[in-house]
Amino acid sequence: MSRKYEIVYIFDSALEEPQVDEHLTRFHELLKTSDRPEPITDISHWGKRTLAYPIKNREQGHYVVAQFETEQALLDEFERAIKLDESVLRYLVVINEGLATLPATVDRIERDSDDDEGEVAPDSDEEAE
Amino acid sequence: MMRRSKTCPVCEMGVRIVDYKDERLLSRFTTERGKILPSRLSGMCARHQRQLSRAIKRARHLALIPFVKAHSR
Repeated sequence: MSRKYEIVYIFDSALEEPQVDEHLTRFHELLKTSDRPEPITDISHWGKRTLAYPIKNREQGHYVVAQFETEQALLDEFERAIKLDESVLRYLVVINEGLATLPATVDRIERDSDDDEGEVAPDSDEEAE
Repeated sequence: MMRRSKTCPVCEMGVRIVDYKDERLLSRFTTERGKILPSRLSGMCARHQRQLSRAIKRARHLALIPFVKAHSR
């Protein structure tokens, strides 16, 4: 049985955009099957963001959010490949609950005072069904 | 801190599912040190409080919000 998932990658900020894409295509290649040639349903590059705390001595990370559909067996292999990749600082795979892949506020890369000025981010609370 | 309101603040916004990627929203429901605010203080309904706690934990893992906020801010 296949399921819909969502993944967030945090790539090393030392990587340039084309290198990130290279890694992404390599990972996403693993999800391709003959009966599902296009497993990725949605992808969104957040770009470089300051991390809330350093990971592997990096202060910044390159965030990418993608949604895909796959089988359990393929997912294990996919996660293993990501785990082994040193350029991925961190990742998270969750069941796709129909949330938008875009960042809640598009201009939130530079976060100086995020106290309470943003009441609601209307573009973040889309939902399916 | 936040005053108890009669209705759930997340329901009022019309949000059905709390997004773990929306760190602005999540940080509104944490204390100044980064702890999850109890629903007793935020007035959050049980359903959304459960979603929120999970979303905050995911967001922390992704370094969107800190586990512990530094003292001077």
